[in-house]
Order: sequence, then structure tokens, then C-alpha cells
Amino acid sequence: MLQVCKGNVGKSGCSAFAAGFFNVPLPTDDLDAMFKDMVRDGGYLRMQDRVQDHLEQAHLVMKDMMSYGVDFVRKDSGELERVPGWTRDLGLMFNGPNLMEAMRKASLEKGVEQANRVMVTDFLTHGGRVVGAAGFGVMNGEFHIFKAGVTILASGMCRYKSLPPGQRDTTGDGTVAALRAGATVCDTESDFSLNNAFVAHWDIGPGMNMYVGQGGRLLNGLGERFMEKYDPIRKDRAIAGMRCLAMGLEVRQGKGPIYMDLTHLDPEQVGRIKKALPLASLMHQRAGFLVGDRFVKPIEWMITAPHAQVGLAVDRRFQSSLPGLFACGESAAAQAMTKSLGCAATSGVTAGVAAARYAQEAGEPQIDRAQVAEIRERLYQPLQRKDGIEPDQVVLAVQEVVAPYTVLLIRHGERMKKAIAEVEDILKNQAPLLLAYDHHYLRMAIEASSMAKIAELQLKSALFRTESRVALREDYPYTDNVNWLKWINMKQEGEDLKISTEDVPMGRYRFHPERSEHLHPLWQAAENIGAINIEKGAVSWA
Amino acid sequence: MGVRRIDWELCDGCEVCVDYCPMDVLRMDRETNKVYIKYLRDCQGCFLCERECPQDAIYCFPVRERRIPLAW
Repeated sequence: MLQVCKGNVGKSGCSAFAAGFFNVPLPTDDLDAMFKDMVRDGGYLRMQDRVQDHLEQAHLVMKDMMSYGVDFVRKDSGELERVPGWTRDLGLMFNGPNLMEAMRKASLEKGVEQANRVMVTDFLTHGGRVVGAAGFGVMNGEFHIFKAGVTILASGMCRYKSLPPGQRDTTGDGTVAALRAGATVCDTESDFSLNNAFVAHWDIGPGMNMYVGQGGRLLNGLGERFMEKYDPIRKDRAIAGMRCLAMGLEVRQGKGPIYMDLTHLDPEQVGRIKKALPLASLMHQRAGFLVGDRFVKPIEWMITAPHAQVGLAVDRRFQSSLPGLFACGESAAAQAMTKSLGCAATSGVTAGVAAARYAQEAGEPQIDRAQVAEIRERLYQPLQRKDGIEPDQVVLAVQEVVAPYTVLLIRHGERMKKAIAEVEDILKNQAPLLLAYDHHYLRMAIEASSMAKIAELQLKSALFRTESRVALREDYPYTDNVNWLKWINMKQEGEDLKISTEDVPMGRYRFHPERSEHLHPLWQAAENIGAINIEKGAVSWA
Repeated sequence: MGVRRIDWELCDGCEVCVDYCPMDVLRMDRETNKVYIKYLRDCQGCFLCERECPQDAIYCFPVRERRIPLAW
């Protein structure tokens, strides 16, 4: 078994910088209520059999992780300390990057090999089956091919190199490689947590879960708490997507900017934050927001560029549409309940077991030498150009398209069409000219190119969904449970991106919404406070 | 973005920071046996290098030097 990572296994990617909060239900919790929350929060688009699997497996996976050396925070009594995060669920705390460090060491102790600083750019296929991967060393440029009986994609989503420190290496490269190999991606635009929010003008993070869990309050530019208007029950602890939509609605009404107020937290609460978020706490101290055991002023916050969970369409075992390729964590579709550390962990266990069975039963993989030669030729092209476009230019161009909250968070068809035209221009006229001065820049060039492709996938899928569900559309403000209980699948066929829908199999699921259309609850809230009117089936701002 | 200073008086060339950096920002100078900041613009400000440095030779500051377009 081999792990391949463009950074260093366990020291890079989102999990290494997760916010100190591990959401794991215990058997003594009200699992039925959690199940309903998870399905409802996912807009009824989630694979309910997978939600059930997660709830049943999570505490067992947590015990496995503890046996590997993951050190969850305990009370003085020795009992595991459970703290609130977003939603009503309780989670466990862990000490920043130590979680993934423990997993990395456990992996090595079990004899797993690790190829660090190797960026996978392509999957190898033979007869329609994925038989391994190809890539290059980001420090020395060496070309690598990996022949594999089965491959699991776990490279995460795309965060467009946006605000979160520690998450600017998740650029969707794995998804783009899988798409090129013929895989189907699913629902790239309807992740229940489309954005997150971080400190606006400093590189400080992560921590949303811990801050709101410990009592952090969001304020608008008038100094008003506003979350109660949009989620009267969970308020500031609403799910991330809901919270970001509410922030966007406040700003759209001219009530920005948005602040996170932690000044009322007592030393015990701040102590918990410091324990779970040692790096973010140090950043806060350096910036002067945290002095001793007190936050001294409200901090301006901002929503991030969209989290593009352009995951692969998978079944309950996390098998993708390509034989020999599995996907887990945020590399699998959001509908497979893979977001957040706890969900990613259970998805990894399920995918790992299924992949091992596949490898036992599948025959010896065969490598297509002509394909390897084609990949090698294409891969190094940015290094061979004498002149061209620096990766930074493409990164910035993509960010300028997707970052404004009025594109993919509060949406309108016309704005998205304009954004698609801009991304298509980047893909057609800029990405092919990407220039790399050395192998580090080659990595950056491929990441920039991946980001542009991910933006295309996300925008086209978002335009296709003509309703408001996990995001808001001004031109389609209703949640349409008659026509849109569907997943949107996308597949690359030559130059064309084929879009199709697949009915969510509600017939075999146990939790159903009413089959009707209704004004999205956030649009309803906005209408109730006089911020909008619905005219001719669309939103009109007051 | 993040990493601001490596104190060469303290750096003993152990390369822990090079090993940890997710963005491949730091490199080792074999002649001096010291680590230097090679790709500053790609530093993601995670502070891991400062946290892991056994010699406390690295100082980070959460300033954002590279423009990132904001949501509003």
C-alpha cells in the first residue's frame, strides 16, 4: 500500500489544519434526530443510506483513531470532553495538527509506504479500468508512474486558494485528473457548506466551529446580532452554508461589514479555543486580537470563495464510475456525506475496505505505455515554454470570477453566464500558456489550471439547477421538491462537458420532504424583514 | 504571507521546516547548511514551520501580502 501526496502525508491538506473539532455521534446520542438534521441540512440531496452508515460507524472509527494515537481532549476526570460546534451536535476537541500527525505515524507503523512531494496529475487507465496514477516530484521534477490494483482518491476539494490559511493547497487536481480519465462528478454546486468564513484582512484561521461553539457572535456593521432572523433556533451555530448566506444577505442589504465578536468569552472558553486551535490562537495574538486570555475587540470577518466540493459520483461503498477508482473525503460527492473530519474518516474506512476487496478480485493491472508517454509529454509543457503566463495571473483571474458572493452564493443566471464566459476564456486563452520556471512553478501552474476547470464545473452545474436549495437564486427563489430532487452529474466527453440529472432515489429512503414548491426559508426570512419582494417569481430587492 | 524571518544564528539546518511546509516554500542551502525562504508568495500562512522548528528560529506574522479577491 502506498500513499502519494504533493505535500507531505499528514502535514498538508485541509485535515492537517482542521479546526480542532471532530464531529462524532456516540451511540447514546439521539441518532434518529441527527439523521433527520443531516438529511434536511443537505437539502434532501444526501445519500441517506450513507448518512446511516456514518452515524453507525463514527464512534467505532473514533476508537480506531484513538488506538492509533490520536489524542482527543479529555476532562480532568479522564472522560472525553465534548463541546458544541455548529448545529446542536456535540463534538470532540483535538489539538490542531496533532490529529493528522498521529495518523501519519500510524500509517507508517503499519507498513504503508509514503511518496511525499509527488504531485499526481493523471490516472492511468487500461480497458476502462483505473490501474494507477502518474505524476512528478515537485522538488526534483522526477516523473513517476504508480501501477495499482486499486486507487483511492483522497485529495480533497478546491478552495480556490482563498482566505483559509492552511487550505491553499487544495485545488481540485485529483478531480480534474479523474474527469480527464472519464469519471463522473456529482453536484459540484450544492454542497451544504458552500462557503466558510474567516478573518477578513489577516491570514488567521481555522476555527469557525470552535468560535461559535464557545459562544462567538456574528455582528453586522450596525453592531446587531443577525443570525436569529435567519435561523431562529440555531442562530450563530447554524450550519456553515446557512451562516454564510445570512452574512451575504446582510451585506446585500447594506448592513456590512460582518464581525465575529469573541470579546465576551471567559478565560475558560478562550482556554478551550487555545487548546484546540494553537496555531490560530498564535495568529490572533500576533495580530493583537487576543491578549492574554481575552479577545479584545470584534474582528472583521469575510466569507471565503466557494468551497468547491467537486467530488466524484460514488456509490455507498465509495466506488466511482470508473472501475478501480474509489474516492473518499471531500474527493467524493458532498451527497455522500463526506464533509467534515468525522464524515471524511468514516468515508475513508468504507472506501478502504471496499477498495481492498476490489483489489483482491481484480486481475493484474496492465500499463498502457502510449498513455504514459502522452501524459509525460503534456505534463512538462509549462517548463518548456520560453514565455507565457505566470500561475499567479491565472489564480487571480479565477478568484476574481468566483469570489464575489453574488456569483455562487446569492446567484442569478445572468451573473453566472457572465462568470462562465470569463472562466471559459481563462481555460481557452490563459491556461494553455501557463509558464513554469522550475518544478515548484510547475506544481503551481497545474494547480492554477485545475482551479479554472473546477470553476467551470461548479458554475455550469449551479446554472443548471434552476431553484434555491443550498444556495439562493434570485431568479429561482423557490425550493422545488417536485422537479429538483435530483443530482447533477457531469462528465467530460472530448471538448464537451456533458450534464445530466439523476433522481435522488427517494423511494428507498426513509426521510422525505413534501413534494411541493416553497419559497426558500432564507428568502422567506428576507421577505419577512422587508429586504426583498417576490415579483413575477423572482426576487426584487427592496 | 506568514513566514517572515529565519534566524540563521539559530537555524541548525535540521530541515524539519522544509519537511513540514505544505507549500514547498522553504529550501535548504547546502553550502551554508541553513534554510531560506524561496517562494514567499506561495506561503499560505499556516505557521507550521514556526511551530515545528526545534530551534525556535522561525518567526511568522499573519499579514496577507498577496491580494486575494474578497467576497464583497
